[in-house]
Amino acid sequence: MVRGLGRAFTRLFAVQASWDYQRMLGIGMGYAAEPLLRELKSTDAARHANAVRRSAEFFNCHPYLAGLALGATVAAEYAGEPEDRIQRLRTALCGTLGALGDHLFWAGLLPALMGMALIVAVLWDPWWGLGLFLAGYNGCRVVVGWWGLKTGLAGGMRVGQAIAASWIPRARFVVGIAAGFMVGLAVPLVARYQLATLPRAAGLVALAVALVGLGLAYRFGSTFRGVRYGLFVVGVVLLWYGVMP
Amino acid sequence: MIEGIGIAPLILLALWGGVVGIDLVSVPQVMVSRPLVVGIVAGAIVGDPMAGLRVGLVLELFALDVLPVGAARYPDYGAATIGAVLIVAGGPWVSGVGLGVATGLVIAALGGWTMPVLRRANAAAIARRIDGLQAGDSRTIRALQFAGLARDALRSGLLVGAAISAALLIRHLPPLGDEAALALTVAVIGAGVASALAGAMRTAGRGVRLRWLLAGLAMGITVALAW
Repeated sequence: MVRGLGRAFTRLFAVQASWDYQRMLGIGMGYAAEPLLRELKSTDAARHANAVRRSAEFFNCHPYLAGLALGATVAAEYAGEPEDRIQRLRTALCGTLGALGDHLFWAGLLPALMGMALIVAVLWDPWWGLGLFLAGYNGCRVVVGWWGLKTGLAGGMRVGQAIAASWIPRARFVVGIAAGFMVGLAVPLVARYQLATLPRAAGLVALAVALVGLGLAYRFGSTFRGVRYGLFVVGVVLLWYGVMP
Repeated sequence: MIEGIGIAPLILLALWGGVVGIDLVSVPQVMVSRPLVVGIVAGAIVGDPMAGLRVGLVLELFALDVLPVGAARYPDYGAATIGAVLIVAGGPWVSGVGLGVATGLVIAALGGWTMPVLRRANAAAIARRIDGLQAGDSRTIRALQFAGLARDALRSGLLVGAAISAALLIRHLPPLGDEAALALTVAVIGAGVASALAGAMRTAGRGVRLRWLLAGLAMGITVALAW
C-alpha cells in the first residue's frame, strides 16, 4: 500500500489545480490518490474503480493538510470499509482540516514568517528576507505535508484521534501568537523605512490615512478589504489633485 | 527596446509572472506569488532591485489583509506587483511607488475577478466528463487535472500580459506632478499599513493573540522612532 507514496505526495502540491465550486478539491484529491490506489486494481478491480470514483468526489480542506485525508481514505479503501463510512470520514475531515490548516498556515505561519521577512528586508538585506521566508515556510509545509500523508495512512478511520493527539492543535496556538507579534512589529518598521527620507508632513499624512483605514476596519469588521480602501484612497488623491476628470 | 528596459527583461518578467500566477492557487503554492518575493525578483530582472523592494513592501502590506481561504475571491497580487515594478523601475521611487501601487491594486482586483471564471470553467469541464468520473476512470481525472492547470496558466498569462501592457502604457503617459505623485505614494503607504493591521486584528480576535499583536506593534513603533 505504501507504493506510490512519493508520487502521491508530489501530486498533493497540485491538489488545487482543478478547483471548482462543486467538487472543490475533489479532482485534485483523486489525482493524488491514483498512485496509492493502483495496487488495489490487481486485487479487486471493482473496488478499485469505486475507490477512484470516491476519491474524486466533493472534498474541501486546507490544501497542505489534504494528505491527512488522502492517507486516511486510502487506508480505509484497502481495509475494505463500506462506502458510507468512507463518505462520513471525508465529510468529518473537511471542516476539521479546513479550520486547522487555515489557522496554522494562512493565519499563523504565513503572516509570522512574512513579518520576519519584512523586518529582515528593511533592517538587513531583502534577499535574506526572501530566502529565510521561502526556506522556512516551505520547509514547514513539506514536513507537515509528509507527516500528514503518513499519519493518515497509519490512522485510517482513526485519523481523527491521531490529529487530536498530535502537535497540530498546540502548534496552531503558538504560531498564532507569533503571527500577531511579528506583523505588529513589522508594520511600523516597513512604514518607517518607506517614509524615512520624506518630509515630516508626509509621515503625518500616512498616519492619518492609516488611522482612517483602521477606523473603517473597526466599523465594517470582516467586510473591510484593504484593496478597496487602497483604491478609495487613490481615487481621493487623484480627484484632489485634479488628475481624474 | 522600451525606454530604459530591454525586450529580454520584459520576456523574463512575463515568464516570472506566469510562474507566480499559477503558484497562487494551482501549483506548487510555495509562496513565490507573495508581493515581497515577486517584487524583489522583478526588480532584479529589470535592473532596479530597490524599485522592486519598495513596491513589494507596500503591496505585501495589502496582501497581509487577505486570507486565501478556499472558495473566497481574493486579489491576485503576483501580476499586479510585476506591473507596479515595471512602472517604478528606472525612475525616482518617491514619485513612482504611488502610481505603481495604485495600478497594482487595480490589476490585483481584476485578477481576483478571474478566479470565479476559472472555477466555473473547471466545473463545466467536469460536467462534460461526468461519465468517466462516475465510472472511476483514472484517465478522466488526470485529463481534468491537467486541463485545470492549463486554464490557470492561461489565466495567469493573460493577467501578466495585461499588467505589463498597462505598465508600459503608463510609462509613456505624461508623468503626474511632483506633489500629486508624492501624495499618492504617501497615501498608498498609509492604506497599506491600515490593511495589514486590519487583517492582523481580524485574525487576532480579542484574546491573547491580540495582546501579542499590540505588544509587537508597541515594540515596532518604539524601534521605528528610535531608528
